Amino acid sequence: MHIPDGFLSPQTYLPAYAAAGLAWAWAARGLRRTLDEETVPRLAAMTALAYGLGLVMVPIPGGTSGHALGVAMLALLFGVRLAFLAYSLVLALQSLLFGAGGITALAVNALAMGLCGSLAALLTYRLLRRMNETAAVAIAAWCSVLLPGLLVALALGAQPSIAHREDGTPLFFPFGFAITLPAVVIPHLFIGAGEAVLTVLVWRFARARKWCSA
Amino acid sequence: MVLGVKATHWLFAYLAAVVAVTLLHEPWLLAALLAVAFIASGLSRLKILRRAVLAILTFNLTLSLGYAMVAAWQGNFSAHYLLLVNLRVLLLAYLGFWFVSRVNLIEACRFSPTLSFVVTLAAGQIEAFSRALRDFRLAFVSRNAAAPPLSARARHAAAQAGHLLDKSVCMAAETALAMRSRGCFDDYSNLPPPVCGRGAGREGSPVWRPRRPDTATAYKKP
Repeated sequence: MHIPDGFLSPQTYLPAYAAAGLAWAWAARGLRRTLDEETVPRLAAMTALAYGLGLVMVPIPGGTSGHALGVAMLALLFGVRLAFLAYSLVLALQSLLFGAGGITALAVNALAMGLCGSLAALLTYRLLRRMNETAAVAIAAWCSVLLPGLLVALALGAQPSIAHREDGTPLFFPFGFAITLPAVVIPHLFIGAGEAVLTVLVWRFARARKWCSA
Repeated sequence: MVLGVKATHWLFAYLAAVVAVTLLHEPWLLAALLAVAFIASGLSRLKILRRAVLAILTFNLTLSLGYAMVAAWQGNFSAHYLLLVNLRVLLLAYLGFWFVSRVNLIEACRFSPTLSFVVTLAAGQIEAFSRALRDFRLAFVSRNAAAPPLSARARHAAAQAGHLLDKSVCMAAETALAMRSRGCFDDYSNLPPPVCGRGAGREGSPVWRPRRPDTATAYKKP
């Protein structure tokens, strides 16, 4: 789902950095206020966890698999702020150390996957948990994959209209919404289902150990 | 560190270069900058180029082929665009790998002691997690002669995620204890700066110091 470097125009990523800066400040402030001296090691451990969850292969019907996002799991277990900060750090490390994602796309990726993904997961869970907790966790995890996928597709699909030459030739990502929306969203419907199964199984494990904050 | 320049300065120079590259829309200019970066990066240039090409290959190849087909079908194919986008992405990837090959990322984060600390701890734990997951994967493959069913793969993924969760919570607690035992959480804010040791009397000393604890959330008994 990561947007790679070089496909987002400065008109997109610079405002995204401004918005992400505010969100990072909000998350860091809240984290310092709510947690004690264990904040730093906890944030480091969650960053490593977010990275590790990204390496876990989620089985998808049909014999294939995709990488887990893990953001719903982090948000449900440790809260939106920690999930967002940990995920942002992972994206930064991935882009600098492994060339996955990218520095120009970091803010959009962090806002879409880290912030919107974890918010979608937590809000969906809180909305639905009274009806059936397991279903609430599953739907929350599915939403945490689908919403970032939709946002990434929108950010990419907007590029041809945001940055192009006078003759209409694109300067950054070449495809509009008609291509990006189905190309990104449809596979994520299935990846979200795999992520939902994984999140429910881990949620039960975490509940047994009383780690849940949601 | 390169030429004695502070790693943090290199980080900001790299970020400025990235922004500048995305403001250029002429393929020949990007090619010239790539050539300059290639020459300036010294003996490791071929290794960096190989890493950069491998990192972008799959996505760029898919995108370029997709663009070529769609644009040819619509009758507005532009070789200039293909050259521009591939050169830009390659240059950005090259700059990124060049930066991390020359500059210690943890040193570069020294402008924020907390960030530097988190990155140090996280980088070490990421290594441990990657090794654990590799072992899990190999063990799973060795236990399944035929292709495992969906339910087995789901259980395996959940076991991996559960293990990581378990390990990370333990690691956070262990690291906090280790830091506490080494005095990292002691409040030095009312003391003069240290007079000996690495970074003595310097702003941003290597010891991570938290804010003065709030009276409401002060030290909790273990």
